[in-house]
Order: sequence, then C-alpha cells, then structure tokens
Amino acid sequence: MADVIWCKKVVGGKPCNTVNYLDPYCFWNWEGKTNCAECGTVYYIYMIQGHMYRGPDEKPGEKPDMSPLYADKPLEGYTYYLPGVKGRTRPYECLPRHIYLGRADMVKFSIRGKPVRGWRPQPPSGGLAGQFPYKWDIKKLSPEVWAEYQEKRKKGEVKEW
Amino acid sequence: MAKDPRETRIEDLPGPKSPGELEEMKMPYEEYCRKAFDPGNEWAKPEALKGIRWLSCTMYIFTPHSAANLAELGADVIKIEIPRMGDAMRHTSPFNEAYLYPLHDTRPMTGTGFGFLNANSNERFLSMDYHIPEMVDVFYRLVKMSDGLTELYRPGTLDRWKMSYRYLQEMNPRFIYVWGGGFGYGPKVFGGSYDILGQAHAGLASITGMHEYMGGHPLKHSNWCIDWASGTMITHGILAAIHWRRKTGLGTMIEFSQVQTPTRISGYTFPLYGRFGIVRQRWGNWDTQLCVHGIILCGKSDFPDAQNPQDKFDARYVMVSAFNDPDFKELCDITGLKDFYGRYKAHKDRVDARPQVEIYTALEKWAADKTRTQVVKTLTDAGILAAPVMNDREVYECKHYRERGTLRWLDDPLYGDVLVASGHSVGMMTKTPRRTNWIWRPVGADNVGIYRDLLGIPLSKIEEWYNKAWI
Amino acid sequence: MVDKAKLTPEEYLATILVPEKGRETGHVCWDCKHLKPVLKGSKFPPADLIGWCTMIHWPFYWCITDFNVVKKCYAMEKGIYTPKKF
Ligand SMILES: [Zn+2]
Repeated sequence: MADVIWCKKVVGGKPCNTVNYLDPYCFWNWEGKTNCAECGTVYYIYMIQGHMYRGPDEKPGEKPDMSPLYADKPLEGYTYYLPGVKGRTRPYECLPRHIYLGRADMVKFSIRGKPVRGWRPQPPSGGLAGQFPYKWDIKKLSPEVWAEYQEKRKKGEVKEW
Repeated sequence: MAKDPRETRIEDLPGPKSPGELEEMKMPYEEYCRKAFDPGNEWAKPEALKGIRWLSCTMYIFTPHSAANLAELGADVIKIEIPRMGDAMRHTSPFNEAYLYPLHDTRPMTGTGFGFLNANSNERFLSMDYHIPEMVDVFYRLVKMSDGLTELYRPGTLDRWKMSYRYLQEMNPRFIYVWGGGFGYGPKVFGGSYDILGQAHAGLASITGMHEYMGGHPLKHSNWCIDWASGTMITHGILAAIHWRRKTGLGTMIEFSQVQTPTRISGYTFPLYGRFGIVRQRWGNWDTQLCVHGIILCGKSDFPDAQNPQDKFDARYVMVSAFNDPDFKELCDITGLKDFYGRYKAHKDRVDARPQVEIYTALEKWAADKTRTQVVKTLTDAGILAAPVMNDREVYECKHYRERGTLRWLDDPLYGDVLVASGHSVGMMTKTPRRTNWIWRPVGADNVGIYRDLLGIPLSKIEEWYNKAWI
Repeated sequence: MVDKAKLTPEEYLATILVPEKGRETGHVCWDCKHLKPVLKGSKFPPADLIGWCTMIHWPFYWCITDFNVVKKCYAMEKGIYTPKKF
C-alpha cells in the first residue's frame, strides 16, 4: 500500500475513523482529489514515489477525481467497503466476471455443443482402489445429458469446430 | 525387358526414369508436407519413446511437464500422487470455474482444475504414500523396472528416505534421476520456487514490460512460462541421458534449477553487463536489436460492437516488422513518413532508442484513424510483414492452426469434449509424431493396472492398502 | 525534519530517495538529473556503485562505479537528484 488516508472527519458528532487505502498502482505518483469511502469527504493529495508530498487537505464541495480501491474501519469491528462500491470505492477493472465468483459452473456441453463431463457429483468408479473405466459411456452414465445431446443434434446446434 | 532376366534395367522399374523426371514427379512442397505430417492421423504411426518407463513424483507444472513431454512422445509415464489428495495442481483451477469431476473415488464433490492441463497428459495415475516404511519396497520395485524418475522435493528429502540417486543407482545402474529444484544446490538451496519467483529472481521480469521512463513496471508473463520452459529443458536433458545410456549403459543424475531457465533465455543481457557494466532495461513492445520490429496501437477496434472487452478494446494492436532498408523505405512511403527514411537510412541509426521513440510514435499517429485490419492490409499489400495481435478466440478461429492440428478437439475417454493444444502444439514429426491420448485421469485411476498387472500384487492386498490410505 | 511545504516536487523526491554515497566521491553525476543513485541501506547491488546513468546508454542503465570517477560527460544535464544539505 502506498499510503492511506485515515479519515478523522467528525460526522454526526463522532469521527469517521475510516482507513482509505491508496493502492500503489494508481496512487504511487499521483496528484488529485480522492474521497473518503465512508463519509465522502474530498481530500486533495499529491503523492511522490508512494509518499504523501502534499495533503491530505479537505476540499469541501469539490468532486473527487478517483476513489480509493478499498476502505475499512479497523477500530469498529472491521466493517469494510470492497472494490467497486458505487460512489465509494473504485471498481477493480480486473474483477472476474460474476460467473467466476460463485459456485463452479456445471458445463454440460463444450462451445461446439458436444457433451463434456464436468459436473458433480459423479457416480463412483465401480472399480477397486479408485480404478476408473477409461471409456466414459455418456449414454449409460448420464442418460439425461445424452437425451439433451440428441435434441441439440436435431436442432443443428452441434458443430465440428 | 532385358534379354537376360537377371538384369535389372532402370526403364523396367516403376517410377521416374531420370533425375529430370524425378524432379518433375515430385509433388509440390506444401503437398509433400501435408502428406508427410498428416495431422489427425498420428495414431497410425509409431511412438518414438515407446518402451521407456518413467516415474513422475512431481507437482504443479515445472517438473510434471518434463514427464508429460515423454508421455506425449510415447513413454509409459507413471504419475505417483498422494493418496486421495493428488497433485496440488489439481486444486488450482483458473478462478473458480473449470473443474472436471471427480478427483478421486472417495471425493465425488471435488474435481481437478484446468490448471492441471497439458502437464500430465497421456500418463497413468498411481496413488502411493511411498515414504512410509510399508510402501518403500513397492517403490523400489518400480524403480528396478523403470528407466528414470523426476522428483521435485526439497533438497535431500528423497536422500533422507533413501530414494535419492545415490541409493537408486545401486538398485538400477541404468536409472536416470532428475531432481527439479527451485534453486538447486548452492547458497539458496532451501529456497522453494514458483514460476513467478523464477521470472523475478533470474532477471526476466526486470526486462519485461515498458521502460521505466514510460511509466512501466517489471512484468511477469501472465502464463507460467518459466515452468513450462523449464520442464521442456529437463526433457532435453533426459533424452540426452537416454542416448548416453545407449552408449555406456549407465544412468545419470540431472539437477535442474528452475531459476536457471530465465538466464538461459535472456539473450545478450549478461554478456552486455559483463563487458560494459550496462544493465539491460525493459523495452516493451519494441525491440532493442531491430527497428521497425514492434507492436503498435491502432485507433479503431476491429470489433467496436463486441461485448467482450478483449475484442472491443484489444483488437487494436498490430505487429509490424520492417527493419531492413528496403522494407523501412516502403513503410515510410506508405505511411507518409518520408522524412524518417531520409533521417534514418541506415539500420544502426534507427535502432537507437530515441529514433525508435520517434518512429513508433509517428506510426501510431498514422494508425490513429484506422482499424487493425486496415493497418495490416495496407502494410501487407505493400509487402511488409504485419500481423494482428490476436486473442485466444481469434487463434481458435484461425484456419492455420486448425489445418495443422495445433489446436484440436479431443474426445477424452473420461472427460468428453476438450479443446487441447498440448502435444500437438509442439513441432511436427513425420515418423513418430507427438500426440495427446487423454488429458488426465483421476487420482489412482491406474492403481489396479499397475499394482496388479505390473507388480503382481493380489487384489486383496490392494484393497487393504487402499482402505488404510497407503495408496 | 525539513518543511516539505517549501520543497519543490523534485526536492521532495530527493528527500525520499536518499543515496548511499554523495559528492565526496567526486563524480559530476551528482549534479546530473540522469543519475539514479544506489539508495541508502541497500545491500544489493554491490557497494562499489554510486548508481546508474540512465542516459548515456539509454534505454539501458550504465553502472557508475565509485573508483571510476566521472569528471565530465556529454550527457550531463543540470538537475536535482541528490539533496543539497538542507
Ligand atoms: Zn470519512
């Protein structure tokens, strides 16, 4: 972390007490205005080589140029703002697509429409000591996928490439 | 026919009658190559390493890849994994998506991730906890009937278990033994290693990426290229050792330190430092030895309406090469940068850093109102080497790779339809081509095939070991 | 502690990047903006360097040793890289 802005702005009678993390990739050598993720106070900062050269100075009424990536409140039970909370933290552009964040995707067909075996749970091997039969017979082991495959074939959704 | 039937005359034989005719009958080179390599029919040809048996006591990519190379060339590679757990790489999927189930009979809800791909193809999968006293003998028996082994343990671990080269060589003097360590012996002997550490520690990352003055940082390659390259280099060593053994009958120990590989592929970096005290710096998408020879950014995307940002925003890069004088002149002519040719007629003038900055800046300015396709077409029409920077979707669509069989669909016997590059993406061979038969199998899938059929251990014993989790 | 409010960005940078060696080595490089000095406390690279010249072999860096004193240089350009004594 290049530096943080520990916001002490008094809001509603008590200090905001939020740590705004200034990630080095964006803030290492940067001059501009950034906001506190909690109370929205705008601060002017000028960072050189990851060190705070000017600021943070409050700039009431001005708009921030860039938000911090992440913020938390370590003294108050670690509530936090993950990247990409609208109006508070900056979205992390490399964030995986939503389908990468949940449970594993149970794909039944490859992109050309032929069946794959990639879902769970799988039937046990039926062999000794984890011995697996080398030919996976889709018709026998997953009749419903086989039926779906036949449908796809009829509709012309199965391609060779 | 000749009068004397014992006489053979060239005109009676089938085929060409003179060198001239032979020349005429030769098929065009392209056609010859297609026929000789015949991608897709690899399975009709023999395998170069058939008869070699290799033990792979490995994990992740670096050392497993050294054995997968052998397996793709036809060796019988036995991958020995921790019972029920397997290679840690199996649990390292890209993000949280691509798992193929199951991992093991006892773990139906756990799968093997795509990260495991290409590093273990065509192998047989044995599970064995070989460091417990009960299994040591079984391990030794495998050693006696194998040609070699690759391991990646911390230095001296297998020596402590009496399984290092010093011990195995006495059981099997023809044994070839590979220790693939992070650093190898030396001051950093106990340092573990990862690909990223190899890239960082041996100076590769420091010369990758944009120059510091352009705001660049040292970069690692997105893929674990040092793991893959190191594994391949081990395989070179193994093949040389096999050849040596044919002559002498003796095995070898190969010690391969992963952080060595980046130094091998760093070109002139170290000689330059040694002679002049000059520290090489990053030079991004340009080239320190050739100019023009780099990647430029065009103004417009080829797919402005695409949803995928990799198509929408990244379909704008073009690789251009026009470093020799006529090409550079042509490039200057068609891009309207005539004065550059006047100023930098000789290659040694334009290869300097400052001219490069000027030239590439001007080229990008010229390309600012063009799409990638327009730029490539304009340049190739003028006879200049130019190619779009393609993402993997475009590589998949590209006919070139499809026709040569670089990328292909494999109907994996266990996992179904998988798009693979693996063995087919390495060089082609007319007589003994590499091939991918299957991507991998579950942990211990070949237990019976090896313990019973190879070692003659009765099924009751195998079941007992399995229940005790020794295998 | 110097008052950073009075420093220009370049002067401030010089207070962050404190070099291991200084003018006593006699190199003209200490007045040159192309010097990238070895920082204080670095164990690596070897101690006989005062730093690197980022210019004369640009885009590469040239190691400036302390025993090879650079008295004049065609690439010399005035600039602040080392702090003057504050
Ligand atoms: Zn606040």
